[in-house]
Amino acid sequence: MQQMSIGIKINNIKKKLGLNQALDGVSTHFEEGLLHGLIGPEGAGKTTLLRTLLNLLTPDEGTVQFTNHGADIDYNSIRSSIAYMPQQQSLYADLSISEHLDFFRDLYQIPKDVYLKRREELLHITRLDKFIDRPAGKLSGGMYKKLGLMCALLQSPAAILLDEPTNGVDPISRREFWDLLHRLSKENILIIFATAYMDEAERCDRVHILSTGSLIAEGTPRGVLERENVESYDALFIKRAAEGVL
Amino acid sequence: MTNIPVNAVDVSNLTVKFGDFIAVKNISFSVEKGEIFGFLGANGAGKTTTIRVLCGLLLPTSGKVKVSDVTYDQGIEAIKAKVGYMSQKFTLYNDLSIQENFAFTASLRKIPSDTLKRRTKELLDFIGFSKPMNTLVRDLPGGIKQQVSLAASILHDPEIIFLDEPTAGVTPVARARFWALIKQLAKDGKTIFVTTHYMDEAEQCGRIALMRTGEIIALDGPENLKKTTFPDPIIELNPKGTIPSELIEQLRNNKAVDSIDSYGMKYHLIMKDSQEWNRLSIEIAPFFVIRQIPPSLEDVFIRLVEGVTR
Amino acid sequence: MNLKFNFKRALSIAKKEQFHIMRDPFTLTMATILPVLLVLIFGLAIEFNVKDIGLTVHDSDRTFSSRKLVEVFSSSQYFNINPSRGSIIDAISDLDSERSKASLIIEPEFEHNLLASGNTKAQFLLDGADNSTAGVILGYLGGIQKAANFKLTGTLVKEPIELKTRYLFNPELSSPWFIVPGLAVVVIAILSILLTALTVAREWENGSMELLLSTPVQPLEIIIGKLIPYTVIGLAAVLLVVLVAILGFGIPFAGNIILFGVGSLIFLIACLAQGMLISVLIRTQQLSMQIAMVTGLLPSLLLSGFIFPLESMPKFFQNFTSILPSKWFMIISRGIFLKGADLSDLKLPFIGLFILSSILIITATKKFKKDLEP
Repeated sequence: MQQMSIGIKINNIKKKLGLNQALDGVSTHFEEGLLHGLIGPEGAGKTTLLRTLLNLLTPDEGTVQFTNHGADIDYNSIRSSIAYMPQQQSLYADLSISEHLDFFRDLYQIPKDVYLKRREELLHITRLDKFIDRPAGKLSGGMYKKLGLMCALLQSPAAILLDEPTNGVDPISRREFWDLLHRLSKENILIIFATAYMDEAERCDRVHILSTGSLIAEGTPRGVLERENVESYDALFIKRAAEGVL
Repeated sequence: MTNIPVNAVDVSNLTVKFGDFIAVKNISFSVEKGEIFGFLGANGAGKTTTIRVLCGLLLPTSGKVKVSDVTYDQGIEAIKAKVGYMSQKFTLYNDLSIQENFAFTASLRKIPSDTLKRRTKELLDFIGFSKPMNTLVRDLPGGIKQQVSLAASILHDPEIIFLDEPTAGVTPVARARFWALIKQLAKDGKTIFVTTHYMDEAEQCGRIALMRTGEIIALDGPENLKKTTFPDPIIELNPKGTIPSELIEQLRNNKAVDSIDSYGMKYHLIMKDSQEWNRLSIEIAPFFVIRQIPPSLEDVFIRLVEGVTR
Repeated sequence: MNLKFNFKRALSIAKKEQFHIMRDPFTLTMATILPVLLVLIFGLAIEFNVKDIGLTVHDSDRTFSSRKLVEVFSSSQYFNINPSRGSIIDAISDLDSERSKASLIIEPEFEHNLLASGNTKAQFLLDGADNSTAGVILGYLGGIQKAANFKLTGTLVKEPIELKTRYLFNPELSSPWFIVPGLAVVVIAILSILLTALTVAREWENGSMELLLSTPVQPLEIIIGKLIPYTVIGLAAVLLVVLVAILGFGIPFAGNIILFGVGSLIFLIACLAQGMLISVLIRTQQLSMQIAMVTGLLPSLLLSGFIFPLESMPKFFQNFTSILPSKWFMIISRGIFLKGADLSDLKLPFIGLFILSSILIITATKKFKKDLEP
């Protein structure tokens, strides 16, 4: 069930939530098959941007364009090729790993043979196969995130949007998670990864640095640092603050 | 006066059991007054349990615990009075003002109103807070909110302050400011305990205890930990384009290589034997840009915690 | 692609919901304990027939005739005589202190007047504060007066027109007979509105809604999927009430059980849809629960004719109750249960119920938001 690859272009997206200008004119390009890092502290607009891409929020201004799709976006069909992993806990504490997988198989209407193969593959690479009967509420932080990822990957999506999946996860589980993503990235899947951990920028193909609703830098991880002439992303923020931009 | 350093925390042979499960296995360590002490470990390693014992929230199954000269024999309340706790998730009520939050905390701690007044002024000056006291917490920017919640958690002037992932998610600017405050507190003689998964935070600590399955498997300063764990530098391999797929597997099995792991688009390699490696590095030079990098704390963490299980 | 309503997806929601229900002690306890508890409270504890009414008698006459009059009251089984403690004032203060519900005051001239003119009077004071008891006592008075006339004068007073009342369908005017079929209404309303009001709000609260919304699942599929398991629970609860009614209280089931089942089903769906609507609009469990309590309990208990007859309400409220599904199902439930009414008798209530359930489901689906806009 190999899906067509997807890229996303956004142009001048603005979105106000209450009094807060969550996104203030963001334009960028998420390229097919690359691993994009959406990096910024809390309140930078990462979650709002991801939700806008999925049409869970409607932008006040600006456009979202999917490559391989016309201007008229049919989100009902796009939803079956884009997977999403929200930031807040969103699994059912009382359902086991296996019940979660079955539920998402039914939601996505995945044929039985495809499902069985995919399920085995995912359980194997996440090393969760020994825990299939454990309820989500009793999984450790890292295992819970991996289950979330599995549910998202079950449908073999062309793009996957992850909202701070490594937040509060210990370094070992975090690295395992990244290994999974790199493996996926090789299958030509677009990955957009939101994180507040600056040190995760290095692990992406492209980074988009967000601060208070605006992009302050983007490019390859090394390229951004060289262009800005800073040692680290922390230093980039501190430099911008000193320039009075933030 | 003697020059023997005063210990803020003394733990000897601490064991905590929950039924048959041993959460903490016979650990001993001391923390000096004025130290910034990092506590690291995977989920379920026993960090939280240890901290709960030190905060007077959980009785030890066996072993001795002394927190700022107070032991469990003197009662849980005596210990609680000596410690302040700031969690990443919750410290302040969003729908109350700063004034109301402070007053509530003070009433829980039974702080007299004149002391509260004096401490409030001291602490707000300390963090450099200039907004009105009746500002609602939810209207504060993330970085300020976190500084105010630090102030609230040390309202009762505790000797020891526990911080749980204190700067996760805040802007780098606010994080730098927060650590400056923490270092000032340590200088003033307060003892700081930090638990975190965030290696940037761990780097700021004077010493780090690394826990795994209820035991402390390493305890030292960040630089020493790096040196003892990785006597040789780490090799970063940056692929010059697509590399043959079986190459990484071949490298992994090479006798010059201890381990190789992907790190973003690059690979981190740890050598076993430097002479063997020198030969190998010439061989693979056409495929990678090779450079030596200093190990990060994350490398240390993974090596120490996973190295034993592997 | 799969844009249209897909029943399999609805079923997958239903299956997941079933897991939640089976693992949540609260839901299962509510579903079984609540009907039994309500039937016991309403069936046994609340007795609409009033007996053992405290009656203070102040007899200033103390003659053969006055004692005969008191005897009529005491032999009626409805009254317990409290002898007067002295003055007339005491007889009245007994009402204030709730020692008695009524006072009988017999003046000194009672027998004298009777013998002299064949005509005499006694005063009967009634505590009007308790409206429902007072009504029942007034009802008894007519019969007692007749009996007193006969005892005192020895003649049966012939009234010009004698009304003979016979209560059809519930010949003994027994409270449980009247109450328990109505309880089916209350049980379904409370149980189903409450349980469903929580289910969508729960998804919002634990964050799973964000994930669900990012999948191809449609609002109607979520709604139908969530309705299915609760329909089963609701029907089981109705069955429980009917069984207790028949076996526990010996109430005969006069009508067609299938028709009753169909009526229950439509009413159930109306209530579930109402709960769903609350849940869709209110995204927190706590507030949903409070609103469900108010909008579920009050109409079914007070405005459905369960306790207070609709006929005695002001015209406005009588009309207003027509938009409440519980009113229509109350008619259906009592009609089928007690009167053995068939579909042709109950055409109007069935149509009303059907329209209301459709409106509620459509509104709930329409109001279901497919995004996270606040």
